[in-house]
Amino acid sequence: MKFRCERDVLVEALGTASRAVSGRGGLPGLSGVRAELVGDQLSLTGSDLDLTINVTVTVSGESDGVAVIPARLASDIVRALEPGAVSLAAEADELNISAGRSDFSIRLIAGDEFPQIAGLPEESVSLASEMLAEALKQVIPAASSDDSRPILTGVLFAAEAGGLRLVATDSYRLSMRDVPGASILDEGQSVLIPSRALNELNRILGGGDEVQLRLGEREASFEVGPVRLITRLIEGEFPNYRGLIPDEHPNVLTVERSELLDALRRVKLLAREATPVRLEMSDAGVELVAVTQDVGTAREAVEGTYEGSPLTVAFNPQYLLEGAEVTSSEQITLSTIDELKPALVRMAGVSEFLYLLMPVRVS
Amino acid sequence: MRLVIAECTVDYDGRLTAHLPRAVRLLMVKADGCVAVHADGGAYKPLNWMNAPNVFTDHGDHWTVVSPKGEELKITLHEVLSDNSHELGVDPGLQKDGVEAHLQELLALDTEHIADGMKLIRREYPTEIGPVDLLCRDADGTTVAIEIKRRGEIDGVEQLTRYLDFLNRVPDLAPVRGMFVAQEIKPQAKTLASDRSIDTLEVDYDILRGIERPQQKLF
Repeated sequence: MKFRCERDVLVEALGTASRAVSGRGGLPGLSGVRAELVGDQLSLTGSDLDLTINVTVTVSGESDGVAVIPARLASDIVRALEPGAVSLAAEADELNISAGRSDFSIRLIAGDEFPQIAGLPEESVSLASEMLAEALKQVIPAASSDDSRPILTGVLFAAEAGGLRLVATDSYRLSMRDVPGASILDEGQSVLIPSRALNELNRILGGGDEVQLRLGEREASFEVGPVRLITRLIEGEFPNYRGLIPDEHPNVLTVERSELLDALRRVKLLAREATPVRLEMSDAGVELVAVTQDVGTAREAVEGTYEGSPLTVAFNPQYLLEGAEVTSSEQITLSTIDELKPALVRMAGVSEFLYLLMPVRVS
Repeated sequence: MRLVIAECTVDYDGRLTAHLPRAVRLLMVKADGCVAVHADGGAYKPLNWMNAPNVFTDHGDHWTVVSPKGEELKITLHEVLSDNSHELGVDPGLQKDGVEAHLQELLALDTEHIADGMKLIRREYPTEIGPVDLLCRDADGTTVAIEIKRRGEIDGVEQLTRYLDFLNRVPDLAPVRGMFVAQEIKPQAKTLASDRSIDTLEVDYDILRGIERPQQKLF
């Protein structure tokens, strides 16, 4: 395999493929990126078995071939080269990287140690990248990062009323977003996609107007421009989220989103060591209060309209902040039942998104 | 297990070459042939190692360890400060972590948490193939063998199945039904347990310990 290309093109392609490369040891092949050159098309693939990222770039090819190159070392070398053209040549078990007066020879990884990538159906459905990116941004923060409960580390993609519904929960909060008209699944069908893969997908969604989605039995792939991301699906039953969402909330607070966010960020400074932020809601709006023993007190009022009985309810400030941050309307509502039952953050006048949040019990 | 503390240099030649300059280190030669070079830091990770199978040769002033792929670890001994060998025997393996043992203790104290009317017969009830965690009698008087794990996986269901096979041969106890209890049970383990008529129960360690979380959960 031998080719030339611009350093920056290779740096970006190697960086993209390397994001799926395992940093945890295991199979030696998993620390490498598989490079395959056919004509002028260079395909780079990184994988940790759960997540695979493939990127194709156009280079000036001299001889076709396949090689598994040490991902991190090769990326570091190429990134450190002077800007301009860089030549790569793989022969036997060595890769030569040269540019200007720089010349590197590094040992390749045996090709048979790189995992086989699963085949996926040819059939694909397309989604608008921008719409999916916005929906993912709204649900991913609610997914759990605790690997001991793998089901909660995923985002549920479910067919819902001719559209797509995304749901994520870490058991403390739940985020749900409907994307009407995006009928990518059969009625009643749902899949659970690891949030880590979706985070990576979000990074590449800017690279094209549309994303092509293919679903296999155990894998899903997303294709955006020259980048293809393949992820294993999470097996298991997602919690029955419908039963968690209360039918009615007698108390509804409506505030300016930016005012609540600013106040929350300020008051949060005094909500240390798992101290909750109390929301004292009345006809005048809401007062945010944080008291940390031996540190101090923060208090800030936010104007708004409140319908219901006066109520004080406390939340983990980070969870409340993340729920409010992913909204995009000028006004948001906080609907409550009492100080112990789940509260709902919504965009005023928008039914496609909700963020369900459990309060913190305070004396 | 041979443990050598020596001032040494180490050279590795394989996929890449690596050199450890002269310093005092711990050299471990395990009975399975695995060789590891440790410094007095860096947590559990060796500075260099060679897994079994390999060919270990002690040349007196230096050792060579060669893997089937031709990778070579050469350890040059400049000064040996200590050289001890110990027969460790066969390791019984990791059997139970602290949480698992504590779960067993807590559930033995409060068997009603497992099911209404559940009464403890004995903890660590002996069978020919090892002790079953809890042997109880349910509200209907049926004997229940309970296996407790922190994370419930298929091997735990298999283990309980073997216990049930032995316990059901004891006339005073039979029929014995099984119950698999864990903080979290994998879907495959639930399916296997259901297929074998074994009940499953997920328990909350914090609730058993009486810890009340101020941050409430949705489920």
